[in-house]
Amino acid sequence: MTTIFFATDIHGSDICWSKFLNAGKFYGADKLVLGGDMTGKAVIPFIHQGGKNYRITLLEQVFEPSTDEELADMTKRVRSRGYYPYMTNPDEITELEKDPERVSKIFLAEVLKVVQQWMDLADKKLDGTDMQVYCSPGNDDMDEVDDIIRSSKRVLLVEGKVSSLDGHEMIASGWSNITPWATHREEDEDQLAVRYEAMTRQLKDPHNSIFNIHVPPYKSGLDEAPELDKDLRPVLAGNSMIPVGSKALRTAIERIQPLISLHGHIHEGRGATRIGKTLCINPGSMYEQGTLLGAIVKLGKNKIENYVLTTG
Amino acid sequence: MSNLFVRKATGMVRSWSVFDAFVYAFFSINIVTLGFYSFSQMYFFSGGMVNALIVSAVFLIFEIIVYASLISVMPRSGGDYVWMTRIFGGGVGFILAITGWWFTLWLWTPVYGDMFRQVVMVPLLGVFGLKDAAVWFAGAGTPLFVSTLIALGFVALVIMLGMKTYARIQKFSFYAGMLGLLIVIVLLFTGSPEAFKAGYEKNATALFGAQAGAYDATVQAGIDAGAATPLTGGTFKLVLLTLPWLVFFNLWPNWGATLYGEVRGATDYKRNFSGMAAALGAVTVLGIVFFLGVSRTIGWDFYMQSNGAWWNSVWYGATVPLPVWPYPALLALFLTSNRLIQIVVVVLMSFWWFGWAGTLFLSSTRVIFAAAFDRLLPEKVAELSERGTPVNAMLLMVVPALLVSYLYAYNVGGFNSITLAATQGIAIMYFGTAIAAIVLPYKKKELFEASPIAQMKVFGIPLITVAGVIFASFLGFLLVEWLFDPWLNTGGEGAGLYGISFKNTNSIIFLGTCYALSAAIYYGFKSYRKRGGIDLDKVQAEIPVE
Repeated sequence: MTTIFFATDIHGSDICWSKFLNAGKFYGADKLVLGGDMTGKAVIPFIHQGGKNYRITLLEQVFEPSTDEELADMTKRVRSRGYYPYMTNPDEITELEKDPERVSKIFLAEVLKVVQQWMDLADKKLDGTDMQVYCSPGNDDMDEVDDIIRSSKRVLLVEGKVSSLDGHEMIASGWSNITPWATHREEDEDQLAVRYEAMTRQLKDPHNSIFNIHVPPYKSGLDEAPELDKDLRPVLAGNSMIPVGSKALRTAIERIQPLISLHGHIHEGRGATRIGKTLCINPGSMYEQGTLLGAIVKLGKNKIENYVLTTG
Repeated sequence: MSNLFVRKATGMVRSWSVFDAFVYAFFSINIVTLGFYSFSQMYFFSGGMVNALIVSAVFLIFEIIVYASLISVMPRSGGDYVWMTRIFGGGVGFILAITGWWFTLWLWTPVYGDMFRQVVMVPLLGVFGLKDAAVWFAGAGTPLFVSTLIALGFVALVIMLGMKTYARIQKFSFYAGMLGLLIVIVLLFTGSPEAFKAGYEKNATALFGAQAGAYDATVQAGIDAGAATPLTGGTFKLVLLTLPWLVFFNLWPNWGATLYGEVRGATDYKRNFSGMAAALGAVTVLGIVFFLGVSRTIGWDFYMQSNGAWWNSVWYGATVPLPVWPYPALLALFLTSNRLIQIVVVVLMSFWWFGWAGTLFLSSTRVIFAAAFDRLLPEKVAELSERGTPVNAMLLMVVPALLVSYLYAYNVGGFNSITLAATQGIAIMYFGTAIAAIVLPYKKKELFEASPIAQMKVFGIPLITVAGVIFASFLGFLLVEWLFDPWLNTGGEGAGLYGISFKNTNSIIFLGTCYALSAAIYYGFKSYRKRGGIDLDKVQAEIPVE
C-alpha cells in the first residue's frame, strides 16, 4: 500500500510550503504531490521613510514598523499570506506607477526568488529521506518557474509526464480551461483534450492510475465558483455558484476511469466525489490563513484503501 | 492594496455589491414570515414592541461584528463548523454545528409549513372565494401536516434547481414582496379605525365565514387570552424579557454571510458589516413603521387582541371568532373590498415566503457535506445525482423533518410547545461561535495578526473579542431566560413566557436527543476511522512549520 499526501494552490505561502514538506512525516505519507499554483498574487511594497522607518499597506491597513524586529515581523506576516515584500522608497513607487512593465519584472523576480528558496528548503529538509515531491505548476504559475523546479533534487517536475508512484502511474498537468484572468497556462477544451490524450495513451494500467490535474472536472461539485459579471464582480452577493471545471477532463475521467483524480484550482471547491468508479478530490485551499488543506490517500492495488481530507 | 502590485490570477475578483448582500440579509430577517409570525405570538408581554425592536437591534449589531470579523479572518471556510473546529478542536465544533445547522432545522420545518399556510395558502384561498378550503387549511393537525409537506416539496425543488436559479428567484421575490408590503403600509396609513372595523366585519364573514359581530367578539376573546403587550414603554427589564421571543425573528442577519467570499482588506470587512447592518437597521425601521401603521388604523389593542384570540385557540383550544390567523396583510386588505387588489397584494406578499423558505436546508446541506469530507459521515451522503442534486443529504434532512413535523402538526405529547427550541438550538451554536471569536486573537495569534481586522481594536483589545463578549453575554441571557423562564419564579401555571424551560420535557428531550445523536456520530465515526488507519484528531491538527 502507498500513502500519498496531496495539497494544492499554496500561492506563495511560506508557512504552507514548510507544512507541505513536513506533511510526509506528520501524516506518515510515502509520497508528496503538489497540485499547482505555487506562486503568490501580490507584491507588498515596504516603502522606506528614512532611518529604520517603513510604511506598509497590508490588506488596506497601514503599518509603520520602526525597528528591525518590527520589520522582520511584518515581513513574516506578509509572507504568511503568500505575498511578496518588496523594499522600495517613495521615489521608486512614483516611477513604478508610470511603468507597469517594470512592476511585472519585479513581480517575476520576487516570485522566482521565493520558488528558488522553496526548492533549496525542500532539498535540505528532505535530504536523507526517501521522500520526493511531485510537482506540476498550475495555470497561475509563470513558465519560468519550471526551470527552477528542474534544478531541485527532491522536487520532480511532472507536467505532461507519466510518473510512477510505487506502481501507480500518475499523469499530471497544471493547465486549465479558459479563465476570465488570462493566466499563464490555460487553453480551450479541445487543446486540453489533446493534452490529456497524449498522457493517457501512455498508461499501461489506466484503471490503477492517478490523474493529477489542476483543474477539476466540469459539474463535479468540486468546481463550483461564484458566478461573475463582466467586471469580475460576484453576482447576487456570491449566492450564485456555477460549475467552471473542464469538460475535456470530465470526458477523460469518464472514459479512462482512473483509480483517483486529484484537483485544485477552485479554492472553495473542497470536497470528494465519484465520477463512475473514480474518486475525485479537491482539498481546497486556505493558503492566506497559513492553513494547509490536503488529502491523504492510501492506495492499494486497483483500489483505494482509505482517504481523508486534512486541515493542517 | 494598490492594484498596481496585484497580478491577474485566478480568483482575483472585484467586490460584490453591498446592495445584493443587503437583500439576502434583509430577507433572512424576514419581517413578513418570521416577523409577523413572532409578533403575533408575543401578545402577553409587558415590554413595548417598539422598544424591544430597538434594544434587540443594538445587541445584534455585535453579532454582525462577530460574523463579519470571522469571515474576514477565515473567509469561505464553511462558517460556524470550521471556525469552531479550528479554534476548539473537532468535538465541540462538530456537536454544536451539526445540531445547530442540521438537526435543529428539522424542527424549523413545520414552522416553515405553518408560515406557508398562514402567509400563502389561507389568504390566497380566502381572496379567491374558497372559504371552506381556507378555513380548513387554517386548522390544526392534518392541514398543518399537509402544508408542511407542500413546503418541504418547495424546499426540495429549490435544492434540485440549485442556488444559481434560486438566488435569482430571491432577488425577484425581494422586489415583489417589497411592493406588496408598500401597498399594505399605504393601506395602514391611509385607512381609519372606523373603516377598518367595518371592513373587518364585512371581509371576515365574506372570506372566512366569521359570524356577525366578529370584531367585538375578537376583542373579548383577546381580553380573555390575556392580550397585553404594549406598543411602546415598559421598564428596561420588561423590554429585555420580550427579547428571548423576539429573536425568533431577527437573530439571523448572518444567515448567508459565510457565502460572502474572499475578504481582501478592511474595505471588504466594512462591506460585509454594512450589508448585514443595513439589513438589520432597515428591518427594524420597517418593523416600527408597520407597528405605527397598525396602531393608526387597526388599533394596537385590537391587533394584540386578535393575536391573543388566535393563539389562545391554537394552544389552548379556546373559541376564535375569525377562524384564520390574523395575518396583518390580510387585516390591512380588509380596508378595501376590491377583490382584485386583495388578490394582487396577497400574491405579492406570498413572495416573502417563496423568496425566503428555499434556504431552509441550505446550511444543513453544507454542514452535512463538510462532515462527510471530514469522514465523520459516510461518503455516500455527499454524493450528487447526475443532475447535481445532493439526493442523500436531502433525504437526511427531509425524512427526519417529516417525523418531527408529524409530532408538531398533531401536537403529539404537547410537542408544538417547543417552537422556540428551533431558535434555541441555533443560539447555542452561535454561543460557541461567539466564544471562538473572543479567543481567536489569542489562540490563533498569527492568523489574526495577518488578517484584515488586525488593527481594529477598542482600548487595545481586538474588536472581535469585545463584540464576542457582548454577543455571547446576550446569548447567555437568552439561554438562561429560555431555560429558567421567569414564570418559574412566580409559581404560575401554563407554559411560561417562552414554553421551553427545563420543565418542558419535550424541549429537553428534543435538544438532548439532538446533542446525543451528534456526539454519537462524532465519536462513533472517529473510532471507526481509527480502525481503518485514519486518526481524525491528527488530520485536524496543525502541521509543525519548522
